[in-house]
Amino acid sequence: MGNVTPTITDLLHTEEANLAKFRRALRREDQLVFDDLFVAAYKHRSAASYAGHLLPFETFLLAMQIEDHKEVMSLRRELESLRKQLETLMRNSI
Amino acid sequence: MNEYTGWLLDIYPHPESGIVLWLLCDDGQRRCLRQDFPVTFYAAGPSHRLRELWIFLKKQPLYIELSRTERNDLFTGSTVVLAASLDSPSALPPLFQMLTKLFPDLIFYDADLHVSLRHAAVHDTFPLARCHVVADGQNRVKEINVLDSRWDLDPAPPPLRILTMETDVDPFHNEPKQIMARTQKNSMTLDIGKETSLLSFMSYLLKHDDPDLIVTSHGDTWLLPLLLKLSNEQNQPLPFNRDPRGEINYRKEKSYFAYNQVIYRGQQIHLAGRLHLDIHNTVMYHDYGVDGVLEMSRVTSLSMQTAARVSPGTGISSMQIVMALKNEILVPLRKEQVERPKTAAELFREDMGGTVYDPIVGLHEDVAEVDFFSMYPSIMVRFNISPETVGSETKTIETVTGLRSVVKRDELGLIPQTLSPLLEKRFRLKSSLSTLSKADCRYKNYKAQAAAHKWLLVTCFGYLGYRNARFGRIEAHEAVTAYGREVLLRAKESAEDLGFRVLHLYVDGMWVQRANCRTVQDFQPLLDEIKARTSLPIALDGIYKWVAFLPSRQNKKIAVPNRYFGVFQNGEIKTRGIDTRRHDTPAFVREMQMQILEILAKAPHADGLKNCLPEIRMLIHASQTALRLGRIPLEKLIIHQTVSRTLEEFRSPSPVSTALGELAGSGKSLRPGQSIRFVYTRGIPRARAWDASLKIDPRTVNVTRYRRLFGRAIETVLEPLVGTDTSWLMQVCQLAFDF
Repeated sequence: MGNVTPTITDLLHTEEANLAKFRRALRREDQLVFDDLFVAAYKHRSAASYAGHLLPFETFLLAMQIEDHKEVMSLRRELESLRKQLETLMRNSI
Repeated sequence: MNEYTGWLLDIYPHPESGIVLWLLCDDGQRRCLRQDFPVTFYAAGPSHRLRELWIFLKKQPLYIELSRTERNDLFTGSTVVLAASLDSPSALPPLFQMLTKLFPDLIFYDADLHVSLRHAAVHDTFPLARCHVVADGQNRVKEINVLDSRWDLDPAPPPLRILTMETDVDPFHNEPKQIMARTQKNSMTLDIGKETSLLSFMSYLLKHDDPDLIVTSHGDTWLLPLLLKLSNEQNQPLPFNRDPRGEINYRKEKSYFAYNQVIYRGQQIHLAGRLHLDIHNTVMYHDYGVDGVLEMSRVTSLSMQTAARVSPGTGISSMQIVMALKNEILVPLRKEQVERPKTAAELFREDMGGTVYDPIVGLHEDVAEVDFFSMYPSIMVRFNISPETVGSETKTIETVTGLRSVVKRDELGLIPQTLSPLLEKRFRLKSSLSTLSKADCRYKNYKAQAAAHKWLLVTCFGYLGYRNARFGRIEAHEAVTAYGREVLLRAKESAEDLGFRVLHLYVDGMWVQRANCRTVQDFQPLLDEIKARTSLPIALDGIYKWVAFLPSRQNKKIAVPNRYFGVFQNGEIKTRGIDTRRHDTPAFVREMQMQILEILAKAPHADGLKNCLPEIRMLIHASQTALRLGRIPLEKLIIHQTVSRTLEEFRSPSPVSTALGELAGSGKSLRPGQSIRFVYTRGIPRARAWDASLKIDPRTVNVTRYRRLFGRAIETVLEPLVGTDTSWLMQVCQLAFDF
């Protein structure tokens, strides 16, 4: 049908393939982190496509950051809640 | 003068001049009428070439009226053309074939159109239209008036006499021994081996019961060719054609590539004066049956025999042709426009599809699915998107959101004009269906009509960008998706502004959830808000008790947009992309997965799903035992796959190539696009063709392979329900693999 440009998924696959040598040279534990980062980029393909950016890798990096920051915020909330629970416990024990 | 009232059965060119019309008259007679119906085609190009064409046409043995005139081309406006008018529509195809070879540089218009489409444009007729006809003593039509409309929901049902014919077994699997033939009056089983009596009875049925419509199973490819061959050999004519002058019209089989797959169309047999439908050669027959074919034929104006066998794309194209002829717009053979040159940046920005999210993987409760009503066609009508209105440089225009393209608004385009009544009829059908009981006699017919419309509307968008479409333009195609993205994002924003969580977006649908929202009334404010922000009709498809969005099989962390299943509050199960929906899943696996889903559907809410596990466990154990002991009928283990290449083109052995080889050994060959049926077997060969002459020994079935397929299907439906409960997950894994 109409499309002549590669889809956003194709572009992401290409970027991942281009970095295959980089990934290979990483330690095994870092390779797993690398794969996780690309999973984050996959989650935001729709937004990256809608943005229509000429350098899509920049939007993929931002997608990775978004997922990272979500994780930080979620951990922060959890930490805050645990801290409050601990404070309550300590107050009650006193 | 004679006057007749009845239903128009068929129109086709008369071999000498004019056309033949068959009318099912109110007095029960089937009348064959003639009508003078000259057809005109046009040619445009350099004047010296048009002059040569004029001289060539003058020398033809036919009477051709020639004139120089101006007609309207949809894209270039008024165009000087040579008009050639023939009294005999049947003479046009061979003449035109000659002209395309001799004058390849000229542009021809209106040259390859079905006579039924031309008649529809002039007299507003359509197949099975109720007509009043005035004819002279020789039954030559002097006046024809249509009494109903193709857009009526409940037209008077035509008194069709139907003959159904099928064989006792699938002729491509085994050699049939009997033919079962049934009409409203008679029902008989005929032995194929007793040729003389078979032909006598068939002849009796055709003459005595005189069917209008013959519905066959494999009639195009096996049954009718066999009967016609026997009739020739025994010199005992079978009056399949009601028209004694008409000949049986054979159309060759073909394979072609479309929508990323090879598609096969079998040989076709068209009759004159009667209609023939082969249910195995009718596009989407399993979706809408005879009622749907009738509706397809009514709205597209194509003869029923043609409408049944062409793609919905040809259907929508025919509707556009009729509209163009009515508006005196020239109909080209194919589109003549090329895409406007674009920069890479423009392509990145404009050449995109619809918005598709990765859903939030897992099980979700109380989810509403809201869908735009025929989104892309509605956008075309609402925003006047048509090849001639998009990309214009006129000042009275509007820019498409996010694109550089512009849309003219002052004049309704050809595509919106074509689609508008179809959309309106579909809307009325859908509204009626939502209130109609399933026991109502109209329900089945309305469902079939709605299914026929659905496929026409689905393809009308693709045809804007299709390279062979007569009225296509890539900018119009892009404008539709641009509006589509904008509309869906507005819907998402509406949902988020009202506090809903958006779980998934898929081109024209949205899945949303909000605490304590469970009833239709809870979601009504959202629907109202979306309608206000987008001005497009939207409806609540249903509220799920629970829905599970599934991850990819390769990477469990990545979601797949169109792979989910869920249960609506009314207990209805909806599945997409899982084994039950795949045509290559054997019936045994498909039925098992569906049975598990049916057990799960009984749970009142998501928390109760785990209580279903004992019942599921019993079901799985019973099935695994049956599979191990060879009690599953072989028919339920058949794998269907589409053949994508010929046997010689396979480089490495696969189950398909093995089965193809076995078929070739039995003297049966399949063309690319045809479906092959095989069963996985142990050792070498790894698969056996179901339709080969040698029977398959049930003891050779590769149980391990089927266990693997079965296990995968179980895992798909049970794994998403476990959440973080690992003990349950262990049980599920045990169920799926440990047998």
